[in-house]
Amino acid sequence: MSATCEFQAKDYKSDLKPIWCPGCGDFSVVQGIYRALAAIGRPPHEIAFVSGIGCSSRIPGYTTAYGFNSVHGRSLPIAQGIKLANPDLLVLAAGGDGDGFSIGGGHIAHLIRRNIDITYIVMDNQIYGLTKGQLSPTSQKGRVTCTSRYGSMENPVNPLLYVLAYGAGFVAQASPTDLAGMAATIEEAIRYPGFAFVNIQSPCVTYGEEAQQIKGLKAISESLKELGHNPEDRLAAMDLAQHYGEKLHLGVFYKNPEPQPTYDALVRERQALLSKDALPKERILDLFIKK
Amino acid sequence: MRKDLVFGMAGSGGDGIVSAGDSLLQAAAAEGYHGVMTKSFGSQIRGGESSCRVRISTTPILNPGGNLDVAVALNWEDFLKFGAELPVAGTTVVIYEAATGIKETEIPLVGVTPLQVIAVPIAAMAKETAGTERAKNTVVLGLIAGWFGIGAVAVMKGIRKKLAKKGEELVEANQRAFDAGRAFAMEHPLKASMNVAASETKGQVKLITDGNDMCGAAAIFAGCQFFGGYPITPSTEIMQFFTDHVWKYGGAVLQAEDEIAGIGAAVGASFAGKKAMTATSGPGLSLKSEMMGLATIAELPLVIVDVQRGGPSTGLPTKTEQSDLFAAAFSAHGDVIRPVLAPTSVADTFRITIEAFNIAEHYQTPVIVLSDQEIASRKETLDPIDTSQFKIIDRLRPAAADLVDYKRFKQTENHISPISHPGMLGGTYLASGIEHVESGAPTNSGNVHQRMNDKRTKKFDPLKDRKDLFEVTGNPDAPIAMVAWGSVAGVCREALAMAQAEGLNVKLLVPYLLYPVAENVYNDYFASVQKGLVIEQTHLAQTFKLLRMHLDLPKGVTSLARSGANPFLPGEIVAALHRLLSELQRSHEGNLQPQE
Repeated sequence: MSATCEFQAKDYKSDLKPIWCPGCGDFSVVQGIYRALAAIGRPPHEIAFVSGIGCSSRIPGYTTAYGFNSVHGRSLPIAQGIKLANPDLLVLAAGGDGDGFSIGGGHIAHLIRRNIDITYIVMDNQIYGLTKGQLSPTSQKGRVTCTSRYGSMENPVNPLLYVLAYGAGFVAQASPTDLAGMAATIEEAIRYPGFAFVNIQSPCVTYGEEAQQIKGLKAISESLKELGHNPEDRLAAMDLAQHYGEKLHLGVFYKNPEPQPTYDALVRERQALLSKDALPKERILDLFIKK
Repeated sequence: MRKDLVFGMAGSGGDGIVSAGDSLLQAAAAEGYHGVMTKSFGSQIRGGESSCRVRISTTPILNPGGNLDVAVALNWEDFLKFGAELPVAGTTVVIYEAATGIKETEIPLVGVTPLQVIAVPIAAMAKETAGTERAKNTVVLGLIAGWFGIGAVAVMKGIRKKLAKKGEELVEANQRAFDAGRAFAMEHPLKASMNVAASETKGQVKLITDGNDMCGAAAIFAGCQFFGGYPITPSTEIMQFFTDHVWKYGGAVLQAEDEIAGIGAAVGASFAGKKAMTATSGPGLSLKSEMMGLATIAELPLVIVDVQRGGPSTGLPTKTEQSDLFAAAFSAHGDVIRPVLAPTSVADTFRITIEAFNIAEHYQTPVIVLSDQEIASRKETLDPIDTSQFKIIDRLRPAAADLVDYKRFKQTENHISPISHPGMLGGTYLASGIEHVESGAPTNSGNVHQRMNDKRTKKFDPLKDRKDLFEVTGNPDAPIAMVAWGSVAGVCREALAMAQAEGLNVKLLVPYLLYPVAENVYNDYFASVQKGLVIEQTHLAQTFKLLRMHLDLPKGVTSLARSGANPFLPGEIVAALHRLLSELQRSHEGNLQPQE
């Protein structure tokens, strides 16, 4: 890791002008990310920021870093390849609820169990915005959308319980209703040594429901700190997480007080341990000599 | 004395047939012979019937051979399941388990009278000498040493080494089983001796490996530092090789949660600046195709090995086929050129894998290596390879001047742009699956899309002039021609030699580069040709059709194609060439007829 130098939030803002709808919650999220990165102070060229496809997945383009706007649902596989190839990098992954919990839902469990040191930010708006308003995996049951004209017949995924159940070491929630809190939460997630998950309730102003706009979110939001929640208590965190959809708990649900070694650190250990056994590359075929 | 012997053995899983083949091959190598061993299993992969073929020769071997010279059946039910993979002819000595109760005159082989048939109480001898029927395979090795003069000393030396850790008692039991087999052979001599001449290269160091391990070694030699993949027969051993070795070279391997994550991680590692690869078989190639499109548009180097098996779907998961050619060449959505290379043997898997990395790095593209089950899992003895002859190419990194107002996808004369990677100061950019301008910024412009498609396809033009990725043997002006690739090429090389020995004026083109189709190379090759065959293990004649898409084949060039699992035999190819010759002669007679 290089020496920390002074960076300001604007140093992480790219030249691309966001094309989100005016009032989109993602404007706040990208600001929160700039602020968190400035607080951490890693230079932009040491940051890799990967996303999938969706409105929110445009976010690496609006950030000065090595960005990768990849394919739908696959930000995490790509991010883990980056981290394993170069563990010195700060690796962020981001996307929407459809990207993360529907098409890419199978990957989260495995990043969690490997505990790769990546911060994963999901901008959860309970709708497919980019494709103009279809049902998403976090849409409430009964919700009417253009693919559920008579109301959804499915229960939504609970992203918080999902990652807690798989054993994620850091689980938090944030919202544009509290930008400073969001920036602080993202910063804490990045600083956590291991897989960290931040669910951000980021309203869709075009296809989102009234109750999920800023005003509605404010009405149901509660600070976990003010509730006196102990973030080292995983079961208490799971208890609170059950209220996803009814309440908006903001802050850290769970932070493992004794972080497990990360996969990337174990990879380094193994490399160091075995490098002495390496045949020179030009003699690698000697492995096949039968004496 | 013979120069060459082909053994074929079959039994139930657990009979140790493949292990016996391994021992025989290693013993032959130790005695300086050239050898090739192929394995074949029922579709259960574990359990069920298993077989192997071992070909041993005093000269280098081009393929696993045709009809068996020696067939060993531990039971007939399993032996017969392998059908054309273990063809018995009138020249074959058949050895089988006497406990099957079948008389030597009544063995269940239809339409053929073998040279000699010998029932041997193999299980009983194992039980008697080693105390367990599990030593049946060692008895068989003793029989082979006795009758064919291979491995009299080396086999037991190998077994001794293999079992050393398990105790002297077991070694001695195997020695007794081996000796019993050998003694039986001595007491029952063959009608005609089939001993193989001593090898001229006796005492020289030989390597033994299979195509998958060779591919892994070549990748590490080429500088590959990341492998992401998912287990799938018959490619899994490539990932296993990485898990054994890549750490030592500062690299990493990830057994991912699925095929998509495997290639996704490799795409990520390549973006991070490391040489990366994944390996799979047909169904996995389908799953990976979206990511391959991403790597193409993001211009990221990546090697994808597809070890082909019978398809579609689970198909014949343990048998060889060449039917992923279309999938490899055309699996992309959008307008894409993705180079496809194919090795033809274990030995050239080394060179072709290195080429794949070099092409991937130079052209900043995914490259597919189309191996096949036969090459991947067959073992070959090899003479040592001088690795200093191989050049390693790395991607073009930005110079200091490129990093001033850096444009990742800058248009250049050869369409190749310097590529930065995370950690490089001044090189930040947005990689993306969305169309982009030179800086990497997203665009919806049709004009930019046209220009970028030009860049991403024209950059491959020089690849089509790489004549070193094609091999022409035989008389270059011959009127009769063959085209074959992958494991089928080895059969055709032998057929070429046989046909030439019979006086046919014939030649063979083996493409190592299958796609993009190098029109000029084929047009040059076919200029002299009046009759020809494109020989392949696909049901739909995919190679033939791929060539016809790109060039006007001479009218006399036709297809010899069939589904996988049934190997081509050199003899049948020679017969097909003879047919072409008679057609050619007839057409010339026709030309001599006076017009009415």
